Amino acid sequence: MRRQHVVTALLENQVGTLNRLTSVFRRKGVSLESLSVGDCEQSGYSRMTLVVSGDDSDLNVVMGQLLKLLDVVDIQDLKVDSSVRRELALVRVGASPQQRGEIIEVVHVMGGRVAHLAKDDLTVEFTDEPRKIEHFLSLMEPYGLREVVRTGTAAMRVD
Amino acid sequence: MTRTGATVVMEALARHGVDVMFGYPGGVVLPLYDEMLNWPQVKHVLVRHEQCAAHMADGYARATGKVGVCLGTSGPGATNLVTGIATAMMDSVPMVVLTGQVNTWAIGTDAFQETDIQGITIPITKHNYLVTDVDDLPRVMAEAFYLANTGRKGPVLVDIPKDVFQGKTDVDFPEATQRRGYLLPGPALQEMIDEAAELLNSAERPVVIAGAGVVWSETHKALAELAEKADVPIINSLLGLGSFDRDDPRSLGMMGMHGEAAGTIATQHADLVIGIGMRFDDRLTGKMSGFAPNARKIHFDIDPTEFGKAIPAYCRVLGDLADSLPRFVQAVKPAKHPEWWAEIRRWRESYPLIVPDDGRFLARHVVDSLNRVTKGNAVVSTDVGQHQMWAAQFYKFHQPFNWLSSGGLGTMGYGFPAAMGAQFARPDAEVWCVVGDGGFQMTLQELIVAAEHKLPVKIALINNGFLGMIRQWQEMFYDNRYSHAHMANPDYSKLAEAYGVGFIRVTKQEDMDEAVRQAEAIDGPVLVECVVQMEENVYPMVAAGAANDDLIMDPAVAPREKVKA
Repeated sequence: MRRQHVVTALLENQVGTLNRLTSVFRRKGVSLESLSVGDCEQSGYSRMTLVVSGDDSDLNVVMGQLLKLLDVVDIQDLKVDSSVRRELALVRVGASPQQRGEIIEVVHVMGGRVAHLAKDDLTVEFTDEPRKIEHFLSLMEPYGLREVVRTGTAAMRVD
Repeated sequence: MTRTGATVVMEALARHGVDVMFGYPGGVVLPLYDEMLNWPQVKHVLVRHEQCAAHMADGYARATGKVGVCLGTSGPGATNLVTGIATAMMDSVPMVVLTGQVNTWAIGTDAFQETDIQGITIPITKHNYLVTDVDDLPRVMAEAFYLANTGRKGPVLVDIPKDVFQGKTDVDFPEATQRRGYLLPGPALQEMIDEAAELLNSAERPVVIAGAGVVWSETHKALAELAEKADVPIINSLLGLGSFDRDDPRSLGMMGMHGEAAGTIATQHADLVIGIGMRFDDRLTGKMSGFAPNARKIHFDIDPTEFGKAIPAYCRVLGDLADSLPRFVQAVKPAKHPEWWAEIRRWRESYPLIVPDDGRFLARHVVDSLNRVTKGNAVVSTDVGQHQMWAAQFYKFHQPFNWLSSGGLGTMGYGFPAAMGAQFARPDAEVWCVVGDGGFQMTLQELIVAAEHKLPVKIALINNGFLGMIRQWQEMFYDNRYSHAHMANPDYSKLAEAYGVGFIRVTKQEDMDEAVRQAEAIDGPVLVECVVQMEENVYPMVAAGAANDDLIMDPAVAPREKVKA
């Protein structure tokens, strides 16, 4: 079955780890939708969250190959109902002085924050589940999306 | 003790029992070549092209079960190793590949003879390292040998900059090697072994397909016990040849694209297929969806990613065969399958592999003579193509570690250097390289190395003036349109003379046995040029992409056969 998977991996910090990891995806012809990585609670290790869409069996092959990499200590395919997923989006929206109040109101209602204000645009930081980000972007679209930067999903298993 | 990086490398080789290594010097590895003079217990063979250093290390490993070691300098030295590394990776051959790298401070500057060999070899190594601190070198060298030779074996590359060879360290080799991200399977689960045994106990038409995993884990005795106890036919994958005595009545030889018909047909009719230490390669299974359609599959392997990769296995036994196979044999009940064997015997008798006796001189005669004279006890290497398939069909191996062939990658030019590597490893063994005129011309410069070392390796050169398998496909699938399949050959007698190796030319079938004996009697390398009929096809054949039901038989044996499973 083809569906979206959110995968987290615990990695040993070595030069070229990312290269090895993405090389597996390239070889198996599976493309990455997003990837976010950073330090974690264990020193010398990082946690990475990968979002991929693909056939379940293809993804199982990729996960097996990833686990075979020496730098990959652990890997988990997270289930939607037992994980927390968040993504940060920075959104620069066109905003004339007349529109500003209206936009800021929408941002606050949605739980976003204005990170920067300029003469004719404003930059919003918005953190939520990926699908809420999509929704937020659709609310901003009428004002003119000048630039959108997204971090990719970070996810954690919760029991 | 404080010593240089170069000393650390040589010390590591000596500690791991490396008695021969294969390499070629260059600027950045000079510190290592200088140090080498202090280590007479590690013999270095100077090759004439780095690709052959890798193939020799591969042949050394396949002929002994030990880790093969090769060495090249940075840049072109390293890239020349690539084909040999990929060959070893595809066939899971344990190798440690050492490459020199430009000085650490020059990395990334497009320095003279710089190449990113670590980046290049990520997909074709089990793991690789770029060592930028000499203090890391003892650990990395220990890890490289450990990784290459444990679990599913494979090549490990260590890239070492010149200043790391020259740098000094007092760090010792680690007592034990362990990496958190490297998982070796523990003992196989008893319930899986029991389930597998139960499936075999209740099967009426079982077959075993044994692969190279049986060779590497040295479980050929357990396999022989299994064959006898469960009365089950043993088929081999190409690389599994030698894991089961070909003279045993329960051996059905190799199966697959050019496998023996009886084994291929039996698999199509089987109700249980047990794959042991093999990976259901596409050349073996034919069209996956048509493979053994009525059979449940049991898969024994050390690498969990092989499960379900090609064939969905009903029962998966994860673990080292050294543990799982004897336990499986123990759990299996003694059985007899007289009806199943009666069917198999009928296929064997109807579709035999034949060696014609009609005055023609064919490649089959060459392998048949070799087999007869050496009694199936020689080490045999091949390249890829027709001669490889005939060698696999007609050479009757009795022991493991005697068969060196590039199965997965299908590397032309592999056979001759691999045979040399095997001969260096086992000086007393009789080593024959069966090669075509195409592949031999890719690496024949190593003749001078064989002559220089008076290496008693024998070469059976099948000269048909064609790239035989290419020609066969063009005949069968491209309407006889031969496109660049024909090739000119040098005068091999002059070539042998120039290189200082023995030479025998054979043009008739009846002279072949004698030629083999003559070559055996010469103490040194011998090139036996066998001028065979130009056009001859390998049968049986399953066309690429076809199911194993659709066997094209030797016209001398039977018309095209549809196997009804």
